[in-house]
Amino acid sequence: MEKQSAFNIHPMDQFIIDPILMGESLEWYSFTNQALWMLISLACISFVFIYGSRKHQLVPGRLQSVAELMYFFIRDMIIDIAGQEGLRYFPYIFTLFILILFGNVLGLLPYSFTYTSHIAITGFLALSVFITVTAIGFIKNGFGFLSLFWISSAPLALRPILLIIEVISYFVRPVSHSIRLAGNMMAGHAVIKVFAGFAGALGLGAVAPIFAITAVYGLEMLVVVIQAYVFTILTCVYLNDALHPGH
Amino acid sequence: MASTSDNSAVGMPQLDFSTFPNQIFWLAIFCIVLFAIVKFFIIPRMEDIFANRRKIIDGNIAKAEEIRLRVDEIEKKIEEELQKAKSQCDEIMNTSGLNIKEQMASALEDSKIATSQLISEAEGRLKELRDGSEIAIEKISEELASDIMKKITGEKQG
Repeated sequence: MEKQSAFNIHPMDQFIIDPILMGESLEWYSFTNQALWMLISLACISFVFIYGSRKHQLVPGRLQSVAELMYFFIRDMIIDIAGQEGLRYFPYIFTLFILILFGNVLGLLPYSFTYTSHIAITGFLALSVFITVTAIGFIKNGFGFLSLFWISSAPLALRPILLIIEVISYFVRPVSHSIRLAGNMMAGHAVIKVFAGFAGALGLGAVAPIFAITAVYGLEMLVVVIQAYVFTILTCVYLNDALHPGH
Repeated sequence: MASTSDNSAVGMPQLDFSTFPNQIFWLAIFCIVLFAIVKFFIIPRMEDIFANRRKIIDGNIAKAEEIRLRVDEIEKKIEEELQKAKSQCDEIMNTSGLNIKEQMASALEDSKIATSQLISEAEGRLKELRDGSEIAIEKISEELASDIMKKITGEKQG
């Protein structure tokens, strides 16, 4: 890897976690490039939601309508999927959504760091969703929550088989939930980086890879928003399962 | 392990488990701060904006409903007034028709009286004139008779 080849492409370098303050070695408390971009996304969120809507306008301005769009989009989504009871968990789901959305979108800036491309981050988020939702299920329904796995609408003979499938799919949820997001983020960024490497090596022929980068970048802009949406909507679906396990 | 000194990744930096405690530490802080911002700044503000808007929209709808009712009322009143005016008009037409007939009859009567008066006046004057002419004829005939007499006698004498 260290040897310089004709194509000097290091598509995975952009994901390296680098301590940028407090020394060279990475301790658990080191302030890293990842933490920096979390801070930047926090600033952007505050800018959009707090500065943008500081005037409480009746007819929203540009920033305020962006903030309102996101806010009511998630709110309506929760009501649609999990019902009115789901609104109790709105702060958590909305936090999740803007955390992922801003991470994804800011990650598209050149030289930025995409914290949602890390399995540790998405895994942590997905696991917290999984644990929270399971806890809510048991607290709300007691052992009735287990009826989620016992599909009473299926023929009796099939139910044990379905039970196994349902249990497996339930425990796979956090894995698919987290890998879907991290994988999408990582793949898109790596592809852009690979094409950028081609562009660097091809001289005048770089027109083609640059065109490809433009196209992939456009696609990525779609993907980052959709992945944030998918993560949130799946969280809502899981929450709905916990609130109403009886299918 | 991802190298931090030579700036080149070995494999996937995502699978470098030595970075996990650090990542999760910062993510936890980030999540808590972000949740606090959402809970204490964003949600109250958005709900406030939404409630205000709802209130104004509801107020406007109520006002519109009220105005609509008033318009209905006014329309009904206009309809009533129109009906009243129509019936009044009919009445006036009827009574004025009668009046005109009466007036015509009285006018006819008047004119009859006036003509008869004129006729009698004219007859009177005619009679007067006739009387006057009789006297004049008598006088003339008398004169004539005396002239004749004079002539007869005078010729005899003369």
